[in-house]
Amino acid sequence: MAEVEETLKRIQSQNGVQGIIIINSEGIPIKTTLDNASTVQYAGLIHQLVMKARSTVRDIDPQNDLTFLRIRSKKNEIMIAPDKDYFLIVIQNPSD
Amino acid sequence: MATSAHNKAPRMPGEERPSSRTTTISVSGIHGAHQSTRDTNSIIGFPSRKHFRVGGGSKVLEKSALQTPRQVVRVFDEEDNDVTPQPLYQAHPAAPHAKSCRLFLDEISAGSASDQTTATGSFTMPFSRSMFGSSRISSQSTIESLNEEIEDTFSKWEMPISFPDVQGKRNTVKEHVAKDMLKEVTDVYISEADSISLLDIPSTLMSVEADDTEVIMEKNNQYAELCRTRMGNNKYVDRAVQTLNGAAKNKQVQSDSNVMVDSATTVTSWDIYDALIRPEQHEEVSSREQEGAEYPGAAVDPNSGAERSASVGSTASTASTASAASSLNDGEALGSSLNTESDLQLNVLSETFQHCLLVMERSILRNTLQPELAAYRQLPVIEESQVKPGTVEKRQEDTESPRSPAVERLWAFSYERSRGRSVSSMAWNKINPDFLAVGYGELGSSEQKAGLVCCWCLTNPTWPEWDVQCDSAVTSLDFSSINPSQLAVGMRDGTIAVYKVNSQHNVSCVLSSSQCPNRHLNPVWQLRWTQQELNLTGDEMGESLFSVAADGRISRWFICSSGLDCTDLMKLKKIQHTKKKAGGTRTESVLSALTPGLCLDFHPTDSSVYLVGTWEGLIHKCSCSNNEQFLETYRKHFCPVNSIKWSPLSPGVFLSCSSDWTIQLWQQDHQNPVMGFSSTQTAVCAVDWSPKWPTVFGAIHEGQLEIWDLSSSILDPVLVQPAAAGVQMKSLLFATQTDCVLVGDSDGQVTVYQLKNLRAGGSSQVKLNDKSVESKDS
Repeated sequence: MAEVEETLKRIQSQNGVQGIIIINSEGIPIKTTLDNASTVQYAGLIHQLVMKARSTVRDIDPQNDLTFLRIRSKKNEIMIAPDKDYFLIVIQNPSD
Repeated sequence: MATSAHNKAPRMPGEERPSSRTTTISVSGIHGAHQSTRDTNSIIGFPSRKHFRVGGGSKVLEKSALQTPRQVVRVFDEEDNDVTPQPLYQAHPAAPHAKSCRLFLDEISAGSASDQTTATGSFTMPFSRSMFGSSRISSQSTIESLNEEIEDTFSKWEMPISFPDVQGKRNTVKEHVAKDMLKEVTDVYISEADSISLLDIPSTLMSVEADDTEVIMEKNNQYAELCRTRMGNNKYVDRAVQTLNGAAKNKQVQSDSNVMVDSATTVTSWDIYDALIRPEQHEEVSSREQEGAEYPGAAVDPNSGAERSASVGSTASTASTASAASSLNDGEALGSSLNTESDLQLNVLSETFQHCLLVMERSILRNTLQPELAAYRQLPVIEESQVKPGTVEKRQEDTESPRSPAVERLWAFSYERSRGRSVSSMAWNKINPDFLAVGYGELGSSEQKAGLVCCWCLTNPTWPEWDVQCDSAVTSLDFSSINPSQLAVGMRDGTIAVYKVNSQHNVSCVLSSSQCPNRHLNPVWQLRWTQQELNLTGDEMGESLFSVAADGRISRWFICSSGLDCTDLMKLKKIQHTKKKAGGTRTESVLSALTPGLCLDFHPTDSSVYLVGTWEGLIHKCSCSNNEQFLETYRKHFCPVNSIKWSPLSPGVFLSCSSDWTIQLWQQDHQNPVMGFSSTQTAVCAVDWSPKWPTVFGAIHEGQLEIWDLSSSILDPVLVQPAAAGVQMKSLLFATQTDCVLVGDSDGQVTVYQLKNLRAGGSSQVKLNDKSVESKDS
């Protein structure tokens, strides 16, 4: 428990990290460092995307599963680590 | 039959005695309650009793008594004495017990232990009638058995009857009778009870040979004739009859209509796979349900978050999991839950979530350190927005514009706990080339600080994979090659501990030499795991741990029951007879015949030969099989030899460095060094060969890192990298697969430097020319 908190703090303090969101399997954010509106937006959109990505991977091979998803854009990079019950979303600006 | 006995005929109904007497009783009357005299058991009265449950008879009697005129029954014994039992109890019609008590009626003789409680409903009138028809009684044996039953029932029966005195009398009489009558023979007569007709439907068929067949047949024929002539016969008149139709009544019933709900789901191929392969996990996902938005006929609107959305009607969800496309309800539900459940759910997060966090952390770092990591791995660096002249690293000589060799600092391993501690030793994991163990410990200071061992992974330079505090400063480290998860740590107080990395963050100290009586009491300067082919007795051995310590002993450690134990391989005796400095900071021995050994290295191919460098500047070549004598002694240094390394690529060549500011290159056959190098006038702390280039080695002075390339220059180092300000470099390690060098410094940082443009491809071995055989005076 404390390790989780500690690791989250470390991640937060890394270079260029803009925000961290943890959402549960239904897409409800349970922990976030961003403001409410952004969190809600990110959570909703990313949840759908992850579901779709996971479905894609598994449709191709049902024994496969999604382990990490990275979306790199012009301005930043969104990294999503899906767990069995939770998704961890980190938005980073790598050029900082 | 004794008359006396008769006189004492029990007045109580239903006494039973296991007597063998019989009395003939003449009974008259319907009831046939053939009384039992005292001898016989009341049963006698009811021959048919044997058909019933015990005690039933009496009850029957009773009922019959009610409805049919009772007939007085009188009992006579063989001598025609009237032994009719007197009525014990005159029943009152109003008495509640009357009915049952009438059973007692002595006239009936009762006795039959009529059991009030016994259900004698079956004994209806007709039964009684037939029952009582008979007058004779049961056989002896049955009587006796019945007796017993009746005894029981009788005893039960005693309850409702409030005849205490009767009972007493009964008992006494019983006894009395028993004594007298035991030996007498009692005759008992059995007769058959009347048969009871339950249903009697006379047959309409007759035998042809019966007597009145003719008559019947005649009648039949007449009837048949009559039927035939019915139509025109005057004897018959048609008449109509109206049947009354009952009034019809309408009754309406309405039932709940079956609610139909349409439900649909999109099934993907992996849904099917999941359902087949992992049915138990199926239920877990049932929280994602699809609900029908409206009642029947409506299109299904896939909604997730069943708990949150208002459930419309019945949630007849299908068994399969929700499809991939599920839209969230709008954020109204989200906002509220942001913080309320965070604490609760974070508790659940910890176990399964760690891995996600780990991967995420590494990914983030990879983003930030991407250029450096790519350089480390010798990958082309991606051009980013900040324009960096893309330098493509090549292993071979740079055919493009030749650049001068350069050292580039990539990154540094350090974290908060390691700051301030001096790096004393580093070791790569034998299996995983990205895994590095670093030992921290203050060596020079007089105060004893706790030591620290960290394991770093290349992917995360900001936080070690695991770290463990040690009791005293760490002086040496080595990973085992057989069990790559075992790390041997030697400490300043002489303890050797073996740690085993069980899982990610779980480190356990497997073994420790702190209990061993032979342990070193001085700092363990070097540890090595080595595969041994043959031990002293000539058997094959596995890997064993060797250590050299400041007490001058070289020991081999093995695992015994209580931890580690060692055997001494060699004692470093002083060759010169100079008195050792007492009270030195590095050793505790004041006057000993042994000199501290500072470094140890096994021959790369012949694992029984090793080199050891001593405090006095001597280098000894020893063999594992010889405890007493050195194979050879190399003298050149006059200060403590800090490090000795065999060349991995050139056989028989080794380097030594010492505090006398020089590095010496030796060949193992020559007593004198082949070459000596010196650059600055500071002690050389460590020296190491490059694993890739046979002519390249690195050396650390306290203030700088030097890379020497023998093929280009033997006078000066090719590369010099000064240490950061205020920091002294302490240890050196070459990376095995890339051209990077790790340098540990006194501030707890392990810096990774990349050697660039080192044109050292040419030779595969160090060739010793005649020119360079002469050693250089340092």
